Amino acid sequence: MRMMDEAALQVRIEEIRESGRFHAIAAHVYDDETGREFSHAGDRWFHAASTMKAAVLLTLFKAAEAGTVRLEDRLHVRNRFRSIADRSIFNIARDRDADAAVHRRIGRSMKLIELAYPMITRSSNLATNLLLDYLTPAAVQETLAAARIEGVKIVRGVEDTAAFEQGLNNLATARGLVQLFRLLRDPQFVSEAARRQALEIFLAQEFKSMIPALLPSGTEVAHKTGEISTCTHDAGLVLLPGRRPYAVAILTEHDAEAEAPQKAVARVSRAVYEFITA
Amino acid sequence: MKIVDGLQLSAAHRELLRPGEMVETAAGEWHILPRYFYEIDSWEHAKQTPLTPHFTLSELITVDCREADLLLRSFPHYVPCAVSILARYLEEFRQRVEAPVYIAVNGGYRSPAHRLSVHPNPHLWATAVNLYRIGDTWLDSQKNIERYVRIAEAMGEEIYVRPYGYAPGETDDHLHLDLGYLLCTPRGYTESQ
Repeated sequence: MRMMDEAALQVRIEEIRESGRFHAIAAHVYDDETGREFSHAGDRWFHAASTMKAAVLLTLFKAAEAGTVRLEDRLHVRNRFRSIADRSIFNIARDRDADAAVHRRIGRSMKLIELAYPMITRSSNLATNLLLDYLTPAAVQETLAAARIEGVKIVRGVEDTAAFEQGLNNLATARGLVQLFRLLRDPQFVSEAARRQALEIFLAQEFKSMIPALLPSGTEVAHKTGEISTCTHDAGLVLLPGRRPYAVAILTEHDAEAEAPQKAVARVSRAVYEFITA
Repeated sequence: MKIVDGLQLSAAHRELLRPGEMVETAAGEWHILPRYFYEIDSWEHAKQTPLTPHFTLSELITVDCREADLLLRSFPHYVPCAVSILARYLEEFRQRVEAPVYIAVNGGYRSPAHRLSVHPNPHLWATAVNLYRIGDTWLDSQKNIERYVRIAEAMGEEIYVRPYGYAPGETDDHLHLDLGYLLCTPRGYTESQ
């Protein structure tokens, strides 16, 4: 295996970008074991896609800790939302949602914690919008501001086409997402029990074709993917045996016709792993 | 079921339920909020209290965490007495459609303190219901909603059914029917303040 130092990692990411004809690839890493940090276009803004759901989850736990919500409380499952652009009504098409279980509960209720799981593990858009509608984007933004995270901006739920057409999107940088996932290790953020529960949800992620795909077996990854037609992202904590985890975010932007962009993210993740363990 | 005068409830409950208070709707109409309530000791009590052969009290009082904490988390719960009249109309509707009807969460009684009660509407009188499904038909399309609007309207002049649509006062993901701002004062109870 080639020794991967910082310069080599920069070159490797550029090679992956050029070979896949990506418009951009950003990667940011923070190693909790050594305190070492690496950044490749780490402050470039991207459409956050579903990585924004990580911010919603952490806001839920923060609110629960503050006593403003209870994770066991029940919320009406209703597929009807208002656009932030023009207040028009939109809903989440069942066939465009990676998770069908929440759709089956329409008309009834689910516990907040029951919504949190599919929002992360199967990237349920309906669960996300329900939770965000209840918590409000302003509350998420307040949580981020209180945690001094400047690289994640949440203004709306998912599938808000009217807002998308007006350029009103959730945004993230790789550095911002790394800061977000580092909150899972921050005792100042929420209690250890709450962080453990949030970590458990991220560890239950079912989409494993990116950050974890090329890592050695036995590696656990607590993460959240994000994909729209022109962006493919993954961010989270990589837990290697016998050492503290590292936080990594890999964000990409590409043509809608790009072939298997997830593989490129997986290759960047592997390169980051080699850098961290070199 | 035990009947209570809302004006005799604790200050905390009166503040949330606002019994006998005059309120203004979004349309600028003024109406008096219900004063007499059934008292419900427990969730089990609500589930085991049939209002009609096919509807229990619990189905008409299920709310989510947008309800005020005191009313959501502690018993007794209170529901306006008109709920039993609403249940009779629901039973008739069920007979007409010849299928089970499903009441949405927050779709029966909700208090004036509920976060969805920004503008007073008949849900606060326990005289309105939102149905999200009838038999195997989900009420989330114009065709499905309008089919049942016609059946509900045929029950009588006193029934109001919201039309399909996206504007305020219209519905696009459920069937709303109500009896207006009906107050129910049981025999033996006074309307005097």
